[in-house]
Amino acid sequence: MIRGLWSRETVALVLVLAMAPLAATWLMAMRGDGLLRLLSALAVVYGWQLIFLMIRAQPPSLAGIVTALAIAMLAPTGLGPVAFVLGASFGVVIGELVFGGWGRNILHPATVAVAFLGFGYPAAPWPDLAIPAAWGALGTLVVALAFGLYSMRLIGGAAIALTFAALAGLPVLDPFVAPAILAPMALLVCDPVTSASTQSGRWGQGLLYGGLVALFLGAWTSASALQVALSAALLANLAAPLLDELALLAWRSRRRRHHG
Amino acid sequence: MRPPLRQTFLTPLIHENPVTLQILGICSALAVTTSLDTALTMSVSLTVVLVLSAAAISLIRQHIPVSIRLIVQILIVASLVIVIDQVLQAYLFDISQRLSVFVSLITTNCLVLGRTESFARSNPVLPSVVDAAGNGFGYSLILVVIGSIREIFGKGSLMGWPVLPTVETGGWYTPLNLMLLAPSAFFLLGLAVWAIRTILPEQAEPLSHQPPDHPEAAE
Repeated sequence: MIRGLWSRETVALVLVLAMAPLAATWLMAMRGDGLLRLLSALAVVYGWQLIFLMIRAQPPSLAGIVTALAIAMLAPTGLGPVAFVLGASFGVVIGELVFGGWGRNILHPATVAVAFLGFGYPAAPWPDLAIPAAWGALGTLVVALAFGLYSMRLIGGAAIALTFAALAGLPVLDPFVAPAILAPMALLVCDPVTSASTQSGRWGQGLLYGGLVALFLGAWTSASALQVALSAALLANLAAPLLDELALLAWRSRRRRHHG
Repeated sequence: MRPPLRQTFLTPLIHENPVTLQILGICSALAVTTSLDTALTMSVSLTVVLVLSAAAISLIRQHIPVSIRLIVQILIVASLVIVIDQVLQAYLFDISQRLSVFVSLITTNCLVLGRTESFARSNPVLPSVVDAAGNGFGYSLILVVIGSIREIFGKGSLMGWPVLPTVETGGWYTPLNLMLLAPSAFFLLGLAVWAIRTILPEQAEPLSHQPPDHPEAAE
């Protein structure tokens, strides 16, 4: 996306600014503890970006702030500093930097980091997000949508699936569940780099995220709300290239039918 | 002109490592490396099978008809694998239970058939044995390194001996459960390949496509 003002870094800057409501509501609830997690995640992310800048001449990106915020907010709690740094490093290096930096990654680095920590330390408890974080996440979604960073179709698909889940009696609007669903969505699922990039693929990914959240809420009773949403986010992120591929396949076969 | 024996033995250790360069024998490298003792047992079994089958096939290389050579090779390898499997069950029953089917699967390990087919079939006995031993040790090297890392960080122990005192026993180390799952072997193997190809850039494959001329406008 290189058109006039819009380069990779202006997109990243607007994305960071859009995160402000979510970051503010979360920091107000978490105070010093949250700030410490955020600062250590920032140190890890930019430490690795600096190393890759020096060795591979890969330009660093402001989007690292979003990655650090997502890791600080969503990673399991009660881990020692070694485990936290290890997980964040794994996500940033294997999830993003080895592919050439932000914009070339396939999975969101924070999704990779959180999945690493979740599978690596299954006994560690998941954080609880307070209800203001849900409003913060909604603010982030609206701002990013207004600037054209997030896809209306993706958010619409997720909203449709979650509405059906709520009508079916699942606790989607519960004050402990709603922020756990909305924060990963605002931080990870809608990410402009790693979400689906075809129109019908975006519908599919939104429906998939909402549908998986509903499925896990109904059937996976031992999991915490954030664990449910993060698992759905990881699977939806992994499915994004497949959904794009299916959308292109459908488009090609439609063209062949119409134009021979 | 055949390269000297020393080179035949040393090249497969790192420079032409069967696991990290040729990406052979990956299934067993993933499956048996959750602890060092299984990785060591598997390494020894594979090296013994590889050396003995290379010797046997090299000995009768003039007499194997080309049209059925794969059948003959597999027959020899499979017989040796059965012997090794029986020895393990007789003397190391516990480990052979944990290795389950993977010792029998040495028969189909691409590494064994690859060496017998590409080297032992067309070389005298001594170079064939040296080449087989080199490849066996190259495979073992990777298995032992990955097995050690996975056992140390996944269980806090090495060969069953505690190295990092875990939280359950009153220490400080929380075991990284991921290390005991198969994906961690993929990560570690990938990191090992990355490290080796950084040090030896001639191993890197050519780019499959060129990056665009103007990578980023902002910078």
